[in-house]
Amino acid sequence: MLNGFKNPGRIALIGGESEIGLSIVAQLPEDKSREVILVGRTGEYGLDVTNKADREKLVAKLFEGKDLDLVIIAVGVLGKDPTLSVADNLVQAMDVNYLSTVHLLSMISDGMKNQSHGTILVISSFAQVRPRDDNFGYGSTKAGLDFYARGLASKLNGTGVSIKILRPGFVKSKMTEGLTTPPFTISSEECGRYGVLALKSTKVVTWAPSILKYVSVIFKALPLPIFRKISQR
Amino acid sequence: MRITEAQTVSGWGKNFQSISTRAVVSDVAETVEIISMGTANRGLLPVGLHRSYGDSALNSGGTLIDLTELKHIAIDPETATATVGAGVTISELEQAALAHALFPPVVPGTGNVTMGGAIAADIHGKSHHKTGSFSQSVVEMKLLLANGSVETFTPHDPEFWATVGGLGLTGVVIELRIQLRVVQSNSVDVTEHRVPNLSAMIDLLGKSDKDYEHTVAWIDLSGDYRGRGVVSLGNYGSKSVKTSSGSGGLSLPDLAGTNFISPLTVRAFNEVWFRKPLKNGAAALTKYMHPLDGVANWNRIYGASGFLQYQFVIDEGREEIFDQLFAGLRGLKASSFLGVLKKFGAASKAPMSFPRPGWTLTLDYSVTVPGLEIFLQKFDEELVAAGGRVYLIKDSRVSPKLVPAMYPELDQWRTTRNAMDPHHLWQSDQARRLQLC
Repeated sequence: MLNGFKNPGRIALIGGESEIGLSIVAQLPEDKSREVILVGRTGEYGLDVTNKADREKLVAKLFEGKDLDLVIIAVGVLGKDPTLSVADNLVQAMDVNYLSTVHLLSMISDGMKNQSHGTILVISSFAQVRPRDDNFGYGSTKAGLDFYARGLASKLNGTGVSIKILRPGFVKSKMTEGLTTPPFTISSEECGRYGVLALKSTKVVTWAPSILKYVSVIFKALPLPIFRKISQR
Repeated sequence: MRITEAQTVSGWGKNFQSISTRAVVSDVAETVEIISMGTANRGLLPVGLHRSYGDSALNSGGTLIDLTELKHIAIDPETATATVGAGVTISELEQAALAHALFPPVVPGTGNVTMGGAIAADIHGKSHHKTGSFSQSVVEMKLLLANGSVETFTPHDPEFWATVGGLGLTGVVIELRIQLRVVQSNSVDVTEHRVPNLSAMIDLLGKSDKDYEHTVAWIDLSGDYRGRGVVSLGNYGSKSVKTSSGSGGLSLPDLAGTNFISPLTVRAFNEVWFRKPLKNGAAALTKYMHPLDGVANWNRIYGASGFLQYQFVIDEGREEIFDQLFAGLRGLKASSFLGVLKKFGAASKAPMSFPRPGWTLTLDYSVTVPGLEIFLQKFDEELVAAGGRVYLIKDSRVSPKLVPAMYPELDQWRTTRNAMDPHHLWQSDQARRLQLC
């Protein structure tokens, strides 16, 4: 349950190895009695995120006997695994970033609706703003997730359950190692700070960093030839 | 019976918002019917007027059984007892009793508490050093159990004591029989003393307990935190006084969610309160007992974020913990305009009852005070190390890990409770947060 300071007593981080996810958890207001469940590939709450039965088992276990106040869903792949073909990378990204995540979102929000309280933080991406030649596959998976999460946030209005969406730009982490860093790059610690802000915010969407909100407006408005030139740099 | 759609409910501190359905019942049959209707996995919780500060009377996703319409009162002047429905308030009982020159021996700072709530919290008042807590005047309790049966328990039964201070988690209090005391009038003879600091306050309160039925002190916890204040001492009076009807008539309007509590406003208020003319002589009993009811909706003053009340008890001889607390609060620039200090007498037999011999201090703070949460977490640990505990009916933030140390008979209570409700029909947000059941 939340305490009287509105701080969560029981949290699950799905994507327990995610640097952004861990950074958000680390920056929540200190509470010694908080129970934090890290859902990774192995361990008590081990999960193969692309396995439907695994996901169902996990969600049942998360809600077993205790309330869940906050779930951070921070699973995701860029779709750039060099051992896989372009098509297979795409299938994997769609599976992890969209299909599996949306399935989790749907089940977890149902569990929270039963409690009549709870918050889910979804990690979307700036990449979903507009297709770019180098990452539109990944961007499309995040666009789908973002779209669903916004719809769900609206549908859950008045139920006590809230959905928050964090849209980070480029975040320096293991996942993005070796990639060239564009403007407005932030560290995973900074991204975590925006995650905490997202949880406090009354708005559904939070950008990380905040300026990306305005950059996204410009990105969408630019004529395609200019946009391509800029985005290819 | 009226069952409402899911709606948002808060405790008196307004720092929780909980969504639940509410079934307003008007008799025992309807209350039994609620149980037979069955519930989903979120259970039922009997509630009254939601005067508990935190989440004791909330049940997110579940159903609240609203008992405020169980209003019957019967006074038997022969035995000086009152038989009262769970929804009768302390104020209503007082009025009915006074008509027979009787009065409930234990009443809290507000009269807007129902009988069910009074048992669930085992409330106390200014008379604790003489009379003990509320349960000590209860001679019989009619309880609706989770299996749908209505049974009567007396202080000889473990079920009675599990329900006392049991936070509504053992069953639905339907009716109580309460032993009243004889009073000569509707007045109380009051003497007030201004004291310059905490040690003078402790000294005076300690000395006065023998001679006064009612003792309490208002303590100024702002500015330099010396603990100056006003000690109020009273005995039942013999001369009747005129009383105005109602609760004093003042009501705080909706302040559009603004928090008016700041170190500056509290300091100004406390300065005025400290300097106010001292009362000496006869005062109306009910007004004296319920100073909080002078202004209705006073909880609005803390704004939309709400506030918490922190009340703890500590053994006599461990008063040094107050210095530690005051130093910390001064560091946070946290100011309280409702500090109350009182010396408790003997404890009741209830495993989950809060009062026990020692000093009890009550403080109000806005939840927006930076650093307050961490500070109180650390202070709780010191408190437990010194053998103290917090009052759960007012709590909204204690660590579940500390509750067994604060309430050493928790397991004994759980055993009785689980036998009374093996399928966890009775549930509350607080029970979930503190893992009580």
